[in-house]
Amino acid sequence: MVAWLIWAIPGDPASIICPPEVCAGTTGLAERWNLDRGPIHFYLTWVSQALNGDLGNSWRVQQGVPVVSLMKLALPNTLSLILLASLPLMLGAVVAALGRIPRKLEQVLQLGGALPAVVLALVAAAVVQLHFGADMYSSQACTIRLLAGALVLGIADGALSSAVTGSRTLFQRERGQRYVQVARLRGENVLSNTLPNVAGAWAGQLRARILHLMSGAVIVEAVLRIDGLGDLLWRATLLQDFGIVLAAATFFALMSALLLLLQALVEVFVAWHSRRAPSLVSRQSTTRVAA
Amino acid sequence: MNSRHALLMVAATCTVALLAAALAAPERLSQGDPGMAYAGPLKLPPFGADNRGRPLLGYLLQGASVVALPAIGAGLLVSFLGALGGLLRCVANPGMEALLHGLRELVGALPRMVVILVVALVLPLDWRGLGSLALVWALLAAPGAMDEAAEVAGRLGGARFVEALKAHGFSHLRIYLVHVLALNLRPVVVRQGAETAMQVVFLEVGLSYLALAENQPSFTHPDTSRSWADLLYLGYPSVILDIPTGHALVLGLLLIAGIALMATTLTAAARAR
Repeated sequence: MVAWLIWAIPGDPASIICPPEVCAGTTGLAERWNLDRGPIHFYLTWVSQALNGDLGNSWRVQQGVPVVSLMKLALPNTLSLILLASLPLMLGAVVAALGRIPRKLEQVLQLGGALPAVVLALVAAAVVQLHFGADMYSSQACTIRLLAGALVLGIADGALSSAVTGSRTLFQRERGQRYVQVARLRGENVLSNTLPNVAGAWAGQLRARILHLMSGAVIVEAVLRIDGLGDLLWRATLLQDFGIVLAAATFFALMSALLLLLQALVEVFVAWHSRRAPSLVSRQSTTRVAA
Repeated sequence: MNSRHALLMVAATCTVALLAAALAAPERLSQGDPGMAYAGPLKLPPFGADNRGRPLLGYLLQGASVVALPAIGAGLLVSFLGALGGLLRCVANPGMEALLHGLRELVGALPRMVVILVVALVLPLDWRGLGSLALVWALLAAPGAMDEAAEVAGRLGGARFVEALKAHGFSHLRIYLVHVLALNLRPVVVRQGAETAMQVVFLEVGLSYLALAENQPSFTHPDTSRSWADLLYLGYPSVILDIPTGHALVLGLLLIAGIALMATTLTAAARAR
């Protein structure tokens, strides 16, 4: 998409990536970055180099430093942030799926979710700064910033409230189906009946929520000064460091692809389970009759 | 007046206030009176002054002019495309539905902020501004809105619903505009549009704040104008240090709350009966 965008916009690709008023030596830049031989050549060269672990060097954020080493430093922080932020989301989604979240609490969550990430992150940054003062970059403060960031990310922009409302609506609609009522009359577990039918859609919803967290991580990391991929991407965009932007965007795309793969695995597992289900049910019935 | 009308009045008032503020925005902030630096709302009504004695009213108006048209435009675009998605379901064109679903999967797999930053990087300097970023944001939000509207139309019965109404003698225009769009798709389409408009304002505030924190020009507006993020940036030190700019922070937060109120009330006013 990035390669397509650069060539789709009118003008010289090297000048678009780094305007002459910002970067000197546009011709040299075009040669070094394979921008002078069309989008396909550029893309294929970049991908083949990336597969060999060479993402080039930073142009402006940390001039000359290999992008791979910057990524290695940033990636663990972003992954921890997203993982920590997704825990309350998952918990909320499971509790909502079980129908255990009162409507009033859901309204409170929706009210909290109306707050934008930048405002909540500012509040968190102020609290950390007031507590640690000059010690803002100590290891303890870094851990607290990461936890505060995860909390902000999990609540702001409707992350938690959407996960809760989405899961509740999905399961509530399914529980209203006729086959679930019949299963209830037969004394079967409602969840074991509904879960296989909604698992795919539920996994899709949760994937969308985690993507939302990845998007919000840019703002939260930049405000709370967490050295993550989002913060790196932000600084690189500001300073026109195309090498880092391309690599960071690729990492985010890879994370998204991984989530898509997980969702596909859930769907495959559900399909496999559904095929086995009749034999399982008959075996259970036989056991019950024998007992 | 019932609660729906009251909510609609609040939403309309907020929207008109935003547009009026955008129209009244000065091209540049006034010079300011150093003697009035850090003046509170009581000393320099209605909102007080910044660290150079410039009235915060100028910040408010200029910030409104930065966000008003892009946010409302993005909201309207998403609403329009959402309505189109719902109406297409009623036409029952499986090819188009598959295309929309594929588009939604593709666009939905991209973290929006990452796309926005990539676009902000590759856009030529002359094209940069909140308008182009809001358009990208709307295009990223649209497939989701179209899919949700299509789902609502599908639950309604889709093409069978239209056929049934045709059998009752209703015209095509009335069926699509009144029965499908106004009576059934309205809650979804209005909510998606209002949410997108709110998100565009929050995007502007977020990006401008981060640019200010890095002492860099913002992607969203020219250096000569101020954003609502400037109010937050100006007021934030008052929380940590003993700098009397708390009134700027309060004003910035109130403006953000106003936008959230506008979107929430509009959504609530358009809810299904």
